[in-house]
Amino acid sequence: MAILGLLLAVAGMAVSILSLTITANPTGRLAIVLAGIAISLFGIAGLVNRAYLKNAIWRKK
Amino acid sequence: MIKRLILPLIALCALSGLAYGEAAAPAAAPVAITDADLKNVTPPKAEDRAKGDADGSVTGTVGDVTVSDAKKGLTLPDLVNQVGQNKIAINFVWTLITGYLVMFMQLGFALLETGLCRAKNANHTMMMNVGVYGIGMFAYWAVGFSLQMGGVGGVANLGGIPPLSAEYTATLFGKPWGLFGQTGMFLSMRGNYDVAVMVLFLFQMVFMDTGATIPTGAAAERWKFTGFAVTSALFAAFTYPLFANWAWGGGWLSTLGTNYGLGKGYVDFAGSGVVHAVGGLTALAIAIVLGPRIGKYSRDGKPHAILAHDIVLVLTGCLILAFGWFGFNPGSTLGASGNGALRIGSIAVATMLASATGMLTAMLYMWLVYGKPDASMTGNGFLAGLVAITAPSGFVSPIGAAIIGAIAGVLVCISVAYVERVLKVDDPVGAVSVHGTCGIWGVIAVGLFADGKSNYGGSWNGVTGSVTGLFYGDSTQLIAQLIGVATLLGFVFVLSFVFAVIVDKVVGQRTSARSELDGLDLPEMGALAYPEFEIRVPSIQ
Repeated sequence: MAILGLLLAVAGMAVSILSLTITANPTGRLAIVLAGIAISLFGIAGLVNRAYLKNAIWRKK
Repeated sequence: MIKRLILPLIALCALSGLAYGEAAAPAAAPVAITDADLKNVTPPKAEDRAKGDADGSVTGTVGDVTVSDAKKGLTLPDLVNQVGQNKIAINFVWTLITGYLVMFMQLGFALLETGLCRAKNANHTMMMNVGVYGIGMFAYWAVGFSLQMGGVGGVANLGGIPPLSAEYTATLFGKPWGLFGQTGMFLSMRGNYDVAVMVLFLFQMVFMDTGATIPTGAAAERWKFTGFAVTSALFAAFTYPLFANWAWGGGWLSTLGTNYGLGKGYVDFAGSGVVHAVGGLTALAIAIVLGPRIGKYSRDGKPHAILAHDIVLVLTGCLILAFGWFGFNPGSTLGASGNGALRIGSIAVATMLASATGMLTAMLYMWLVYGKPDASMTGNGFLAGLVAITAPSGFVSPIGAAIIGAIAGVLVCISVAYVERVLKVDDPVGAVSVHGTCGIWGVIAVGLFADGKSNYGGSWNGVTGSVTGLFYGDSTQLIAQLIGVATLLGFVFVLSFVFAVIVDKVVGQRTSARSELDGLDLPEMGALAYPEFEIRVPSIQ
C-alpha cells in the first residue's frame, strides 16, 4: 500500500505537469493542477501514512 | 487685510508660472566630462589629512580611486570601473553579511528543538543541529551546489557569474526543461574558483543548511545518529539541490513563464518552498518511517502530550530565528545596489509584519480554543508567519504581508492538531506544520498577493514585468505556484521517503526502545547534556 501511495503521489505531480499540454485555458489548467495535488495528498496521507500506521509502535502488545 | 492676502497670492502665481516656464524650456545639452576635467579634482592635502578627519570630510575622496596608469593619472575608464566595482562590492558585502545572519539561525533551531525535547535527549538533539552544519556543508560542497547552481548562468547583482553556465536540459513537450547543473563540484571546475561564485556558494549553503536542520526536529528523541548523518548528507547532496535548481538555478519550474506563459514562472523569493516546504516534507517522510515516540500514543491511538523541558530555550530560539530571518529574506535580493535591490526595506518590513501577525493569531487561537496563550504554539505561530512570508516577501505590500502571516498563524495551529490527531505522525517540534504546511501556503500566497509593484531589473525568470498574483489580475501566476506545490508533493516527498526507507534498511533509522526510554544522550552520544540533573524516566503508558 505504501508503494501504491508513492506512485499516486508521483502520478498527481504528473497530472499537474500534463495540464501544461492538455489545455491552454487558465481555468482548465488550474482545475487539472488542483486535481493533481489532491491525488498526491491522498497518496501521501491516505495510503503511505496509513500503511505505516498499521505497524505503529503503539499498536504492538 | 484683503490686499495682504491677494498680494502674496499674485506673487505665488507669478512664481509658479515662472517655474512652469522653466520646466517647459528645452533641457540643456549634457556636458561631456573628459579626462581633463578629472585633473581638476584634487585630493586633500597631505598636511590637512595628517591633522585627522573628525567630521569625515576628507576620507574617501578622488585620492582613493584606483588609477590604472600612474603616468596618465585618473581617467574616465578608471572612474567608471570604480563605480562598477563599488556596486558589486556593496552587493558582495550585503550578501555575505545576510548569509552570516542565516548561518546564525542554526543556533535558533538548535535551542528551539532542544528546548522542545526532554532533558534526557538534549545532547543528542543539540548534536544533530550542530552535526547537520558540517555534514550538510560537505555534501553540498561536493555535489549539491553543482546540481543546484551549476547552470544558473548570470546573477547580475553579483557581477554575472559566467563560470556557472552548464545546465543539463532535456526536451519535453517540445520545450527545454532544465534538470540539474553540471559544474561547481568542490568549487573547483571550469573557473569556479571565482570571487562571485564564493559569495553565491556561502549564501546558498546556509540556506540549504536551514532546510537540512528541519527534519531533526520532527525526528527528535528517537533518531539514530548514524541514520541522521546519512539522511542529512543525501538531503544536502540531492533532495534539496534538485528542487532548488528547478526553482532558482534556471531549471524547468523557473521557466514555466517563458515556456508556457504561466506568469513569471514558479516564483519563490527566499524559499518558502525551496527551503521550508522541502525541509518540512522531508521531515514528514522521516517521521512516518520512524514512527512515533514510545508513550506518544496509547493503544487506542489517543495522543499524549510529551512536555518540553525548557520553554526559555524554545522562545529564545524563536527570537534568534526571527532575527536571522532579516538575512534570509532581504538578503535574497543578492544585493543592495541596482536591479530593484532597494526593495530590501520593503522586504524587511514584510518579514517583520508577517512574523507579528503570525504570532498574534496563533496566540489568540490557542487562547480562545484551549484557554491559555500556549508558549510553544505562540512561538510556532511566530515562525509560521516567517516561513509563509519567505516566498512572497519580495513582491507583496505591507497589508498583504500581514494577511499572509495572520493566516499562517492559524494554519499552523490547525495543522499541528491534524498531524498529531488524524495522521498520528509524531512531530515533537511541529516542524511538518511550521515548515511544510506554512511553506506551501507561502508558495501559494505569491500567486495570490503579489502586487505587481516590484521591479527587479524589469523582469523575473526571463519574463518582462513584475510578479503579479490573482488578486492583482494574473491568474496564471497562481497556476505556476501550484505546479510547484505538486512537485514538492510528488517529487520531494517521494524522494525523501525512498531515501528514508533505504537508510532504514542499510544503517537503521530508529534507536532501540531501551535507548529511547533511558534517553539518547548516553547511548547515542556517550555523555549527558545535564550530568548533574537527576532525570526521571516515565513508565510506558
